[in-house]
Amino acid sequence: MKVAYFSPMPPEASGIADYSALLLPELRKHLDVQVVKRGTKRPPKGVDLSVYHIGNNPDSHGWILDALRRSPGAVVLHDFVLHHLVAGVTIGRRDGHGYLDAMEREHGVVGRLLGHGVLDKRLPPLWEVRPEEFPLAGEVLGLARGLVVHSHHVEERAHGAGYVGPLIRVPHPAWPDPGLAPAQLEGSPLVGSFGNVNTSKRIPQLLEAFARVRRDHPAARLLLVGAVSPGFDLERRLQRLGLDGDGIVREGHVDERRLWALMAACDVHVSLRSPTMGETSGTAIRALGLGKPLVVTDVGWFAELPDAVALKVSVGDREVDDLAAALGLLAGRPDARERMGAAARTLALEEHDLVRVAERQAAAFERIAGGAAVGDEVLRDVSRAAAGVGIGAGSAEASEIARRLSEVDLGG
Amino acid sequence: MRIAILRPQVPFARGGAEIFTDELVDELRLRGHEADLVSVPFKWYPGARVLTQAFLWRLLDLEEADGRTIDLVVATKFPSYVVRHREKRVWLVHQFRQAYELDGTTLGQFGDSPEERGLRRRVQELDRVALGEATRLFATSANVAGRLERSTGLVAEVLPHPPQQLRYRHETSTGFVLSASRLDRAKRIDLLLEALALDPTLEAVITSDGPDRERLEELARARGIDGRARFEGRVSPERLAELYATCSSVFYAPVDEDFGMGPYEAFLSAKPVITTSDAGGPLDVVHDRRTGLVVAPAATAVASAAAWLREHETDAEAFGAAGKALADEVTWDRAIGRLLG
Repeated sequence: MKVAYFSPMPPEASGIADYSALLLPELRKHLDVQVVKRGTKRPPKGVDLSVYHIGNNPDSHGWILDALRRSPGAVVLHDFVLHHLVAGVTIGRRDGHGYLDAMEREHGVVGRLLGHGVLDKRLPPLWEVRPEEFPLAGEVLGLARGLVVHSHHVEERAHGAGYVGPLIRVPHPAWPDPGLAPAQLEGSPLVGSFGNVNTSKRIPQLLEAFARVRRDHPAARLLLVGAVSPGFDLERRLQRLGLDGDGIVREGHVDERRLWALMAACDVHVSLRSPTMGETSGTAIRALGLGKPLVVTDVGWFAELPDAVALKVSVGDREVDDLAAALGLLAGRPDARERMGAAARTLALEEHDLVRVAERQAAAFERIAGGAAVGDEVLRDVSRAAAGVGIGAGSAEASEIARRLSEVDLGG
Repeated sequence: MRIAILRPQVPFARGGAEIFTDELVDELRLRGHEADLVSVPFKWYPGARVLTQAFLWRLLDLEEADGRTIDLVVATKFPSYVVRHREKRVWLVHQFRQAYELDGTTLGQFGDSPEERGLRRRVQELDRVALGEATRLFATSANVAGRLERSTGLVAEVLPHPPQQLRYRHETSTGFVLSASRLDRAKRIDLLLEALALDPTLEAVITSDGPDRERLEELARARGIDGRARFEGRVSPERLAELYATCSSVFYAPVDEDFGMGPYEAFLSAKPVITTSDAGGPLDVVHDRRTGLVVAPAATAVASAAAWLREHETDAEAFGAAGKALADEVTWDRAIGRLLG
């Protein structure tokens, strides 16, 4: 089956580009995949299905949404909250009306009024301050002939938003451990946080909790890897918490090899998020593959990680206390770190195995491309047979047949 | 207990699954159970017929019959396990193999169009749902269990069953190789015929019938071996037992077979088996140089193996005896004990 594949690709700096680069070689063992060039507006002729990778970043996914609008197809939904994407392809293109329409379509008159507030700069951008309340996923869901998602969280949210098409959950694949030597860094333990340094990654809470942990574990170090987001004053926070000395190791944006070496050096990985856009964390997946214990926020996909591999911290009044307790526990219990690390590696090998994930994703695309026609044919056959023996639509017998079709997922 | 054994039936076809289910019913009755066979015709083409025919099983009401409860149903092969029952046990003979390992091979069914790809996936989904409902899940061989786990993630207990009942006995070899498999392409009888063509000292008796018979007989004629390869068609149980008793070895080399009763029948006659390294289920019991010879799927290798077993009677006897010890362990008492346990 021929598939046109719309996705950011390396060298574009995007987690979804990395994801596609990992998955494509395996996916091509099942499907004839043609990756389209960035900016392509329509799928090539002769393809059986177009697959659109949709995430929240308008720079990476704006052109893909444009193509989806022209030719509906399967959507791999990497984030459920798409407010930033929608704002990017409307306000970002000087189309304020488009933004207002999107807000009204999904949130009614109140949504439109709020949109006016944003356009008039009387309200802060909703995609920055309250995106989870206004996900703006409706247009993408409406265009999707079928959805592939990575988590139960996004599955439930899509169903909750009224999506009734084929919806298939396929876990995010895990990268094979490249086997690089760990970076030589001090820290006992060394706790790592990877990704942009900002409030949505809960860095303020992490710093505060880590400062407490250091009182009992003075040899502990916190490795922060990633660019500091504009407006986030990291240095001032570190000074205030007394972490500006040898408590912190800082690296900015790093290349893939350095990333793996740094990740391998860590004893504990922290992957915090609030609000969540519904994303699956590529760095958390890498940490699983390396066999590292995780501390995560108890939201979205992160909350679905088994307790055996991740300590989960809720957002709220006790967040810093709980975070400090989780980090303190792992700092003082190498045996627990080892046990959780082994479970993490097993999870990566089983649930996130690249070969299986590719097979499941190919199955999902084939199901989306041809499954509806098959369902229709089955229904036609069964209806004809039922009518042939006098079972009419709306009768109790017809309802019973429909119920049994539905039980085995043959209900169209 | 009242037990219904479920068997899809391709009209006019009879093979290992039919023999197995008939005997299972008999054996359950012998042990005091009220057992009966429930059979529904099966046709898997064209188009989505494979699913609509499978769905027929879902419409059956087997919770009770004639006002009396059916305590347990035992589904066997696709699509009988689509049935609904509170105590559905599955003794899996095979799934719809065209949707799995045969896909993309000459034995496959589904083409490359989105509709056919989608149909294959719907069959797989049906399996996941229907087999996932089973209260206990058994597979006739490690090969079948392995395929099931790879395709659905479901884990089955391996539970082989005894072969058909014949008056198995052991007699001195008269030097021929026996093939008693159904004559269809997947059984690869042509490997044996090509082996005979390579070694003019080899002789074979080929029993049974099937859609590949004409082609195989033509092949034998074309290779000039029709005097040494004797096609006997369907034979009586007495004749089959006699052939097992007097052969030098049994050839059984299907492609990735589910279970395969051939080796068990050979072993109960204390005869060694020649199989191939890609035969699947038979490899559970045919162990190279212990109960037979496992060779590459090539005519030269089959010819060498057949000649070696004919010329090394002591080794052949030892392999056959070791096979018999294995086959003697597979009894209806044990199988039914686990099935109903």
